[in-house]
Amino acid sequence: MPRNEAITGLGLDEYKYHFVTDEKPVFKAQKGLSEEVVRQISAHKEEPEWMLDFRLKALEIFYSKPLPDWGGDVASLDLDEIYYYLKPQDHMERSWDDVPDEIKTTFERLGIPEAERKILAGVGAQFESEMVYHSLKEEWTELGIIFESIEDGLKLYPEIFREYFATIVPPQDNKFAALNSAVWSGGSFVYIPKGVAVDIPLQAYFRVNSEQMGQFERTLIIVEDDAQAHYIEGCTAPSYTTDSFHSGVIEIVVKPGARFRYTTIQNWSHNMYNLVTQRAMVHEKANMEWVDGNLGSKLTMKYPSCYLVGEGAHGEILSIAYAGDGQHQDTGGKVVHAAPRTTSQIVSKSISKGTGRSSYRGLCKVYEGAVGARSNVECDALLLDETSRTDTYPYIEIDENLSSIGHEASVSKVGEEQLFYLMSRGLSVEEAMTMVVRGFIEPIAKELPLEYAIELNRLIELEMEGSVG
Amino acid sequence: MSEFRTVARVEDVPAGTMLQVELDGEKIVLAHVGDRVFALHDECSHEEFPLSSGELVGGQVTCVLHGARFDLETGAPRALPAVRPVRTYEARVEGEVVQVRVG
Amino acid sequence: MAEGTMTSDTRPDTGKEAAAGSLARGLATYVRSVHEPSHLSRLRHEGWKTYVETPMPTRKSEEWRYTDLADLDPESFTPVSCEGERVPVERLPASVRAAMESDRDRAGVMVRHNGCLEHLRIDPALEARGVIYAPLEDVADERPELLERFLFQSDVAPLEQKLWALHSALLSGGYFLYVPEEVDVEHPVHAFQYLDEEGGVVSTHSLIVAQAGARVTCIDEYVSPDLEKESLSLNGVEIFGAEGATVSYLAVQQYGRGVKHFSMQHSNTGKDSTLNGFNVTLGADLARADVTSHLEGEGARSEMLALWFGDRDQHFDHHTLQHHEAPSAHSDLLYKGALTARSNSVFRGLIKVAPGAQLTDAYQTNRNLLLSENASAVALPNLEIGADDVRCSHGATVGQVDDTMLFYLMSRGLDREQAERLLVFGFFDEVLERVPAEGVRSRIRESIEAKIHGG
Repeated sequence: MPRNEAITGLGLDEYKYHFVTDEKPVFKAQKGLSEEVVRQISAHKEEPEWMLDFRLKALEIFYSKPLPDWGGDVASLDLDEIYYYLKPQDHMERSWDDVPDEIKTTFERLGIPEAERKILAGVGAQFESEMVYHSLKEEWTELGIIFESIEDGLKLYPEIFREYFATIVPPQDNKFAALNSAVWSGGSFVYIPKGVAVDIPLQAYFRVNSEQMGQFERTLIIVEDDAQAHYIEGCTAPSYTTDSFHSGVIEIVVKPGARFRYTTIQNWSHNMYNLVTQRAMVHEKANMEWVDGNLGSKLTMKYPSCYLVGEGAHGEILSIAYAGDGQHQDTGGKVVHAAPRTTSQIVSKSISKGTGRSSYRGLCKVYEGAVGARSNVECDALLLDETSRTDTYPYIEIDENLSSIGHEASVSKVGEEQLFYLMSRGLSVEEAMTMVVRGFIEPIAKELPLEYAIELNRLIELEMEGSVG
Repeated sequence: MSEFRTVARVEDVPAGTMLQVELDGEKIVLAHVGDRVFALHDECSHEEFPLSSGELVGGQVTCVLHGARFDLETGAPRALPAVRPVRTYEARVEGEVVQVRVG
Repeated sequence: MAEGTMTSDTRPDTGKEAAAGSLARGLATYVRSVHEPSHLSRLRHEGWKTYVETPMPTRKSEEWRYTDLADLDPESFTPVSCEGERVPVERLPASVRAAMESDRDRAGVMVRHNGCLEHLRIDPALEARGVIYAPLEDVADERPELLERFLFQSDVAPLEQKLWALHSALLSGGYFLYVPEEVDVEHPVHAFQYLDEEGGVVSTHSLIVAQAGARVTCIDEYVSPDLEKESLSLNGVEIFGAEGATVSYLAVQQYGRGVKHFSMQHSNTGKDSTLNGFNVTLGADLARADVTSHLEGEGARSEMLALWFGDRDQHFDHHTLQHHEAPSAHSDLLYKGALTARSNSVFRGLIKVAPGAQLTDAYQTNRNLLLSENASAVALPNLEIGADDVRCSHGATVGQVDDTMLFYLMSRGLDREQAERLLVFGFFDEVLERVPAEGVRSRIRESIEAKIHGG
C-alpha cells in the first residue's frame, strides 16, 4: 500500500489564509523590548500609574526568568525582532458600518460567515492588537453583562479589574506570563453578574496581521455566583516567512454555582510561536470547561488549567491537537484539586502527520484534605505515518488517600482493517483516511458550536487532501 | 498556650521589610507594615520557598518564585498558584523588640 | 530584582561536596586490602575522576525532581574494609541463615557481609559446563577478557552518571554470573548482601551474561538491621542477554532503618531474547531504583515488575525506561505500590520508541494504593513514540482500598485490619505470584504482613 509515502508529502503548506492586507497602523512602537517600549505602550493607553508600575515590574521578572528547558524548542525565537505594540485605529468602532473596508475584507477572507456576524449577538473582533469591532446586544447590557476590550475594562471598571487582574496568573508564574504582563495589549474583559445565564456564546475573533509582530492579548473573565456563559475565541493569521509570536494570558474566575465554558480554536500560520497561559479558579459547586483546539502554529505550548478551590467544584478540559509537517503541538491540561469532592476530567486527542510532533503534558494534583476528589485523564494519539511522533508526559501528584485518580493513554496508527473496510464500501483511500480521522476527533468536535465544528471538518479535509494517491 | 518570646529587635526589621527568624526550629517570617509586625511560617504553600525573600505589597506578601500572594493577617492565599493558607503566629512589638507566640 | 531568587530553576546548587578527604582515604585503604587486578582498579580510578568532575544532580532536573540529593553527602560515609576475619556460616546473621535454609534448591549461593565475601557455593556440574559464578575480582584475574567486554558497558543516562561513577569508584563486592550458549541453569543463583556497618558505604555490582539460548534465574537480596548511623548502599546491575537467551532477575531490598539505597539496573536484551525483571522494595529510609531496559535486538522481550510497601516515613523512587531500539520488540511493565503512615513514593516511567522500531508493543502500568491519610504518591508515566506502527499504552492510578469490598468483608465477620490485609494482598497478588522462588515469596509476604501490623 503506497499510503505511507503519500502521506509524508502532506502538510499545512497549503495554508488557506495566505494573504496579506496592507497594514495601516496608527501607532507602532519600536522593534524589540525595552523599558521605553513598555512606557510608550502604557502612555499610549493612558493607563493609571499602578498599571505602568505593574508592567515595569513584570519586565524585570521577564528578564530574570530563564526560558523553559522543557517542552518545545523556543531557542530560535528572536525576541528582539518583534514589534511589541501596534494599534490599528485610535478609537473603538461601535457599529459594523464604521469598520474600515480593508478590515472587513480581511474578515471576509477569513471566512467568518455573514450569518455569524448577524445572528451571533456579540462579536468582539480583534485586528492586530486591539478590539476594533465590538458590538453587544442591548439586552445583554441591560442584564449587566460587561463585554469590553481589556483596555476599556480597565478604564470603565477599575475596581473590579484591579481586584482580579493578575491574581489568577501572576507575572512570576512563568517567563511568558511575565512578558505578557509587561506588554499586554488587546483581549477581552468579561463580567457576568450573579445569576445571569447567557445562551448565545460571546465571541472574539481576531488575527495577527503585521509581520514580526507579537500579539500579547490579555483576557480577564469574572463569572459571578450561579451565572452561566460560554466564550469563544478563534484565531488565524496569515503566513509570513519570518517567525511570529503570540503569547496570551487568559484569567478566569468562576464563582460558586456558576458554569463557564471557554472554547479556543487556534489555527495560526506555521511560523507562529504560540505560548499561552490559560487558567481558571473554580469555586464551590462551580463548573469550568476548557475546549481547546490547536491546529496551526509552528510551536504551541498551552496547558489550560482548573484550580478547583471550592468544595464540589468541577473542571473539564477537552483538548484536540493536530501536528502536521514541521509543527509541534505541546498541549494538555492541568487540574489542581484543593477542596473536598472536587472532580475533573481531561480528554486529549492528538494527530501527528509528516514530521509533526504532538505532546500531551498534564498535571493532576490532589492536595491533602481534598477528600473524595476524583480525576480521570484519557489521552489518545493517532500517528499517520512513520515519521510522525507523539509524546505523553503526565504528572500525577497525590497527597490525599481518600481520592481516586486515573490516567490512561494509548498510541495507535490508522488501522489497515478500518481502511480496507471503508474502501470496500466504495471510498477512496483519502476519503477513508479522512473519515477515520474525523471519527477519532468526533468526541471533541461534537462539543464545538456548529460553525466551529464545520470549520474543523473543513480543515481536516484540507489537511487530508493529497495525502494519498 | 505558650509565652510570647523575643525573636528580633525592631530595628532589625524596619517598616516595609521582612526578616526570617527561627523559633523552636520553626522558620518564621516577620513582616513589618506600618506600625504592625506580622509573623507567618516562612514557606510558600505552593512550593517550598521562603516568603521572606518575597515582597510586601499592601497587607500581602508575594512569593517571588511563582507570584503566589498571602494575606499577612490570616495567611489566606490571595493569588494562584497557591491554594492553601500559610500558618500565622501572634506577633507584637514590645518597646524595642518583636515578640512571637508559637503554639 | 536580584537574579538567582526567581524560580525553582535558580535555586542554589547543593551537593557540590568536596571530593577529596576521608572518602578518598578510605577508598585507598580498601583498594590496598583487596589487592585487585589492574582492570578493576583502572575502572575505579576512571569512576572516581568522573565522579569528581560531575555535579550532583539537583531537583532542577526532572529525573531528580522528587528526590533531593542535597541531603546526600558521600563524604560522610566510610568505605568498608575487608581486612577483618571472615565470619563462618554459623555466625552469619540469623535472617541470612534462615533464608539460606529455606532456599535449598540453588545452583549457587553467595553471601557478602559489608561487601566482603563470606560464603560462595556453586554446583560443580554447572561449573564443569562453563558456568561462572564468582566475585568480580577473581574473574578479573582469571578471565579478564570477559570483564573487559561486559563490565560497565551499559549506556548510562547523563543524570545517572554521578552515582554510577561513584558506584564504580567505590566498588566493594560484586559478582559475575556467566552462562555459556545453550546452558539451562535450572535452579536460581542467589546472592545475599548483608550490611551492618554503621556509617559505611557498600557498592555492590551484579554482572549477568547469558549467551545465546542460555537460561538462568538470578536473585539478589539486600538485608540489614536498623542502623543508628546512616549507611549508604550503592548498587549496579548489568544484564546482557544474547540471541534467544532468557534471564529472570529478582532484587529484594529489605534493609532496616538508617540506610539509603540507590540501585541502577541496566538490561541489554538481544534478538529474540527475554528478560523478566522484578524489583521488590520494602526497606531503607530512602530507596531509589533506576531500571533501564534496552531492547536492542529484533523480537526482544522485557517484562518489568515491581512491588513496594512503604511505611513510617520511607521514600521510594522508581524510575524506569523501556527503550525500544529495535523493531518487533515487546515490553510490559507493571509496578504496584502500597503506602502507609507518612511514606511516599514516586514512579516515573518512560516508553521510548526509536524511529524505525516498527511493530513495537509496549505497555506500562503503575498502580498505587494509599492506606493512610499522610501517605502520598506521585506517578509520571511518559511516552515518547517515534514510530507509527506500534501498540503503546500506559495507565496510572492512585486510590485507596475499595470501600465496598472492605464493608463486604467486614460484614462477613472480619475486623477492619484483617479485611484491609486481605485487600492489600489481593492488590499485590498478580505481581507476587510471579516471584520465581517460593521461599523468597513467603519472606516477602511476611515482611508485608509485619508492615501492615506495624502501620
